[in-house]
Amino acid sequence: MKTEPVLEIKELDVAYHTLTDTVVALKGVSLSVAKNEALGIIGESGCGKSTLFYAIMDYLPVSSSRSGEILFKGEDLVVKTPKQMTKFRGSKIAMVYQNPYSSLNPSLTIGFQLEEVSMFHHGMSRKEARQAAVETLSDLHLGDAAGIVRRYPHQISGGMQQRICIAMALLCKPDLMILDEPTTALDVTTEAVILDIIKELKDKYNMSLIYISHDIGVVNKVSDRIAVMYRGEVVEFGNQNTIYKKPEHPYTRALINCMPRAGVLKENTQLNTIPGYVSRRSAAETGCPFVARCEKRNATCEEKYGMVERKPDHFSACDRAYATDIPDKVLSKEAGSIPEGAEPEHKTILKIDNLYKYYGPHGKRIRALDGVDLTLDRNNVLGVVGESGCGKSTMGHTISGLMRPTRGKIIFDGTNISVSWRKRSPETLRDIQLIFQNPGRSLNPSFTIENIIGRPMLKLLGIKSKQKRRKLIVDILKKVDLGEEYLFRRPKQLSGGEMQRAAVARAFSIAPNLLVCDEPTSALDASVQASVLNLLVDLQKDSGAAYIFISHDLNVINYLSDYIMVMYLGRICEYGKKTEVGGSPRHPYTEALLSAVPDVDPSLKRGEIRLHGAPPNPTKKIKGCPFAGRCHRKVGSVCDTTPPPRVNFSDTHFAYCHISPEVLNSEISVKGIKK
Amino acid sequence: MNTYLLQLKRSPRAIAGLAILLIWIFAAIAGPSLLSYSYTEMDMNNQMVAPGQEGHLLGTDALGRDVFSRIIYGSRSILTIALLTSLLSSIAGIIIGFTAGYFGGIVDTIFLRIMDILMAIPPLVLAMVVLGILGNSTIVGLTIIVSIAFTPATARVARGALLTCKSTEYVDAARIRGESHIYIMFVEILPNTIGPVIVEITARFAYSIMMIASLGFLGVGLQPPTPDWGMMVIENKSLIRAAPWTVLYPSLAIASLVIAISLFSDFVSKVMINED
Repeated sequence: MKTEPVLEIKELDVAYHTLTDTVVALKGVSLSVAKNEALGIIGESGCGKSTLFYAIMDYLPVSSSRSGEILFKGEDLVVKTPKQMTKFRGSKIAMVYQNPYSSLNPSLTIGFQLEEVSMFHHGMSRKEARQAAVETLSDLHLGDAAGIVRRYPHQISGGMQQRICIAMALLCKPDLMILDEPTTALDVTTEAVILDIIKELKDKYNMSLIYISHDIGVVNKVSDRIAVMYRGEVVEFGNQNTIYKKPEHPYTRALINCMPRAGVLKENTQLNTIPGYVSRRSAAETGCPFVARCEKRNATCEEKYGMVERKPDHFSACDRAYATDIPDKVLSKEAGSIPEGAEPEHKTILKIDNLYKYYGPHGKRIRALDGVDLTLDRNNVLGVVGESGCGKSTMGHTISGLMRPTRGKIIFDGTNISVSWRKRSPETLRDIQLIFQNPGRSLNPSFTIENIIGRPMLKLLGIKSKQKRRKLIVDILKKVDLGEEYLFRRPKQLSGGEMQRAAVARAFSIAPNLLVCDEPTSALDASVQASVLNLLVDLQKDSGAAYIFISHDLNVINYLSDYIMVMYLGRICEYGKKTEVGGSPRHPYTEALLSAVPDVDPSLKRGEIRLHGAPPNPTKKIKGCPFAGRCHRKVGSVCDTTPPPRVNFSDTHFAYCHISPEVLNSEISVKGIKK
Repeated sequence: MNTYLLQLKRSPRAIAGLAILLIWIFAAIAGPSLLSYSYTEMDMNNQMVAPGQEGHLLGTDALGRDVFSRIIYGSRSILTIALLTSLLSSIAGIIIGFTAGYFGGIVDTIFLRIMDILMAIPPLVLAMVVLGILGNSTIVGLTIIVSIAFTPATARVARGALLTCKSTEYVDAARIRGESHIYIMFVEILPNTIGPVIVEITARFAYSIMMIASLGFLGVGLQPPTPDWGMMVIENKSLIRAAPWTVLYPSLAIASLVIAISLFSDFVSKVMINED
């Protein structure tokens, strides 16, 4: 195990100097990466993950300073001049960025961009470079390599683009590859494929990896060791299994407990939240970076601080062994918190009948919704999940009235509301509320929180008195854990989580009966996401409203929903209770989605179903099953020619598939989670 | 507000621009009451006196009128017209551009084509023709005509600013709350386009000065005896050898005001655009 490290960082400090003060971005970071080892770095935004990567590559802005040592194969990169650094960048240390679309030049062919790399770093001729590019592409399982090199970035899918970026990094045969959230912008099924490729390449080329991500599940899939960062410091460093099972640092523990994960459901557990937020660090601060938000802090935390080797190869920065010091805190809710009595209330609130929504002109129509049926009862949460472009957001927007359906009916509380907002009654507008993905864009930056929350009250509830409204606003703000002092703040003065809570407050200020949540937490950090999810669960229980919760994250859906609907290309694949869809998925697409989900617990092993290719062109009319082209269990030509029949497994559970129900029922063992 | 001041402090060019602009505004407001000569007063004994002599700071013209007094008086009309023009054309531009951009579709297409036609005619030529037909130019007439000539450009800027905000979710949120179009356009969207709008107003201000001076130079601006900087230049062009100061100082006045406003508007656009 102990080999000469490829990269060794010793006591690295980075600070940014602004007009008024100095902000510490990295403090005393010491890490090492051995040959052929993958190091995962996790942390929330603002924790210095990307700064670390910039510091290694010497990409820091001029207003910053760094000190310490970055030893790459024994050479200190900190003292290198920019000219000397070019020898390392790209050729010895390669990097892959988060957004492949912006790292590729849209006006040059992929082949040209790949050739440039070898020509620059290895002095190859264009012909040799082309040869090398095509060879590398085949390493990445890109089928038609010779065809791809002639295309432009916009002509290939996001997953392919990211593979091209990895190929570029790989072309120089680097000793170390740094990946900064390379799969965050991609769908979960594509992510799974890319992570497999990364793992495979690491072993094939004997590379070392540094994998930076906010998602511990993703990091688990590729890394051997994990470093947890918080406010510019590494707080814990160790093997992935021990980090998950026996986290020593309170922050690691808190972070893991924040994440919706396998076995954690709203019925039995409340997600942990970390009070406060990640604040900037001033130069004067000493002691544990987490002290202000730590539940277990004591007097020594403010001064005594440093990495301690707790177990062989497991370092933690907490003074006390947290795991043994305090018994494992299980955040379970009291038994009986599910009101059993409320169960029989089966009042249907929303019924959707054969809903179609097309965009664009004739001939180039995009079929965003292609015949969706749905019923939703009061007091229920329906989770809608699927890859991007599956029509889940379109469905949410059509229900909330942002657009008019092309065909089909939406019956809400007995009235037909298949029209746009302009033709809906004020009661309907009040009853259906929508929470958007990005709170920074859904709250008008020019208004104060009081105006933002008060306006629907005035407009839809007709509360004319300002005093009365203010009283109600303060009440609702308290419910979402925001104090009275937020009344006069503007969205820009709020953090992401606070903004989303204000958005939730706005939606609930007029007591809606149906709440459509369109990816409300996907722009938020894990700990903030947890607080918003908890809030949504509590408000749902109090108000009895029904939710349509749209998300690409199956862990979140699984935590929050009662029913789950899986969509693909504007159609329903599978629908059922959470336990039915999550526990024993029947549709091949659901299987594939579930097997691709990154798990927080590294010991969970899922099925190895990988989806290749991209969803088919939504402008083409598909005769058969939309999933047929990527299906790993395709029956035969019938899948391409006939729409799949509905197969019922129970009163609530059904799927659309050509595979015979007996086969679907009997093969449960290969799906889902295996311990 | 403090950050604006802080940024202003670090920008010497903006301070210089603002200082010159403030001096001109002060001159326009308080200047005439401090002057020893009126703008029409003809000093028959001192025609074409060089600057600094006989109590004439910047000399006199062929009729013995004090150049300094005429410049100071001239600043009143030019600043008033320019300010009103930039405000009026911005307001008109916002209303037209917002309506077109907000409703989109056929409304927007018609708007864009009309604007294309108007923009094909240079504003100066348009204003000249209209003023020439009208004959007698007054402050009101000049203001309205220059504003109309500028409106296509401001409308385009306003339309662009609206389009960036139109697709945001807070507009969607307002829609499904049942807000009216007017409310969404002017209460939800307008405050968020204030950056580009202010930039446009300050830039328009500089353009207006040049436009008015040009119109005066071409003889269709304010009519004598009202002192007009552009007109002063053309009136005295035959004296450029005998009494160069009669041409030089009005020209310098125009240049200093335009440069000052441009410097300041550069700063405004930098501050407003960097804000997000």
